[in-house]
Amino acid sequence: MALIEVTDLTFAYGAQAAIDSVSFIIEAGERVAILGANGSGKTTLAHWLAGWLPTQESEATRGNVTCRGRAWQDWPLAERASFVQYVGQIPSQQLSGQAFTVRDEIAFGPENLGLPEIEVRKRTAECLADCGLEKLAARDPFTLSGGEQQRLVLAAALAMRPQVIVLDEPVTNLDPAGCDDVLQLLAALPASTTVVLLDSFSRVGVEIAERFLFLHNGRVSLDGAAAEVLLHPDAIASLGLPSAAEAAWLARESGAWNPAAPIPFSIQAAIAAFQQVENAPR
Amino acid sequence: MSTLLFRSGTSWLHRANPLTKLCGLLWATTAAFVLPWPAAFALAAVLAAWGVQSGIGGSFVRRLLLLIGPLAIALLVIHGFLMHYPDSRAFGPLTFSLGGVIHALRILARLAAVVSASFLFVATTHPADLLKSMDASGFPPGLSYLVASPMLLAGMFAMRTRAIHDAQRTRGLALDGSFWTRLRALPALLLPLVIVGLLEANQRALALHGRAFRALPRRTVLDPPADSRGGIWVRRFLVLAAIMQGGLAFWR
Repeated sequence: MALIEVTDLTFAYGAQAAIDSVSFIIEAGERVAILGANGSGKTTLAHWLAGWLPTQESEATRGNVTCRGRAWQDWPLAERASFVQYVGQIPSQQLSGQAFTVRDEIAFGPENLGLPEIEVRKRTAECLADCGLEKLAARDPFTLSGGEQQRLVLAAALAMRPQVIVLDEPVTNLDPAGCDDVLQLLAALPASTTVVLLDSFSRVGVEIAERFLFLHNGRVSLDGAAAEVLLHPDAIASLGLPSAAEAAWLARESGAWNPAAPIPFSIQAAIAAFQQVENAPR
Repeated sequence: MSTLLFRSGTSWLHRANPLTKLCGLLWATTAAFVLPWPAAFALAAVLAAWGVQSGIGGSFVRRLLLLIGPLAIALLVIHGFLMHYPDSRAFGPLTFSLGGVIHALRILARLAAVVSASFLFVATTHPADLLKSMDASGFPPGLSYLVASPMLLAGMFAMRTRAIHDAQRTRGLALDGSFWTRLRALPALLLPLVIVGLLEANQRALALHGRAFRALPRRTVLDPPADSRGGIWVRRFLVLAAIMQGGLAFWR
């Protein structure tokens, strides 16, 4: 059984369709990047994937999202929160408003699950350490910088030990160092954790995902590996090329790259490929 | 610091269980309505002195005077000189009534007692402690949130207000000057704050839902404020006394 199954999902805000006839399946442990330009329906889709739609808007025009064969509406709240977590692009809106310290903010979710005190303390300590927030543990969450708040929101989500984590443009407001921190965190997640990233840029996606979906005007128009999706003209027109791929492309154009070699998408793959070119017998 | 009125300290009042202090506030509020007005003034003075003794004196007394001072002047002018009472006497174009002044003092005494008790409570009680105390005592999480979150979010709204103020100023909106200039600028400051507040309320509700808030009737609470059996009995007594005082005030 698929972990998450989106079936013919169509959803509109009033007369404005946000997502239109979207269907795809996500299997357990997959790392998926859903890419699209602004206004392509990413956030709406992310909310549906995480079961985050408010009650008055939870009726889709058509179709639905099921998780392990059950619609989100049929999931008890505690079970759903332990299963899936959502991290959005404006971290201050995701703070509980009920915690005075960073430590309390991380503990908030596990406390709501009624976990034993020792387990709440263990999870909180681990997430503080994993997300590099130990020095900020006693700070007021609302006084943190945007990057620190984003790490806090991620830590709070991870403290729920979710099987699925939905990330909606998680590095939009971060500087390069903050972005790298988040990437490292995501890379360190257990292999069993399913990661769904939604973004307007392919930079983060290429570092963590092995499958890519291209969302255009509320529809999934491409679905496949990096080379199939990111090198498609429609995707290039909307998203541009990842910097590593662009560098390799330019190198191939100038003859400094083996035309038969695959185009790398992540920085690591590009470094490895350029080293191969460098070391190849001339 | 995310709370506007709380002042940290180590006094007995700071260390007391927040729920006990809340019950004390309830008692003082109802007492202000059943006590004779000089006694209500005395209650307000005792509470103010307690605040000073607890180390929150400066800001506590200043806030109290800033709130009560203008109210006192307005009440005395309205009831003493502008409203007609049976004992009103004319002095040229003005009238004066001793009965009106006493009525104003009666209202003022009650207000002073209630405001002193409220300030004393919020200045010595961190909202997070109140929240934890309520959760640990078995209150439904939704009720605890309703009580404590306005105090916790007040600081965030103050920051946002400053940001909107600065943003509007950089766009050329006149925010300084006469009373009318400030009044005209008020909608430009308030509307963004209200709109952002409403949008964030929806997002925050979703975020709370996403983290299983109210999924269970009771939450685990880390490090709740200290409580004792004696404290529980004091609370019961204060609530009972408050109910009786409230009933008496209503009956009279």
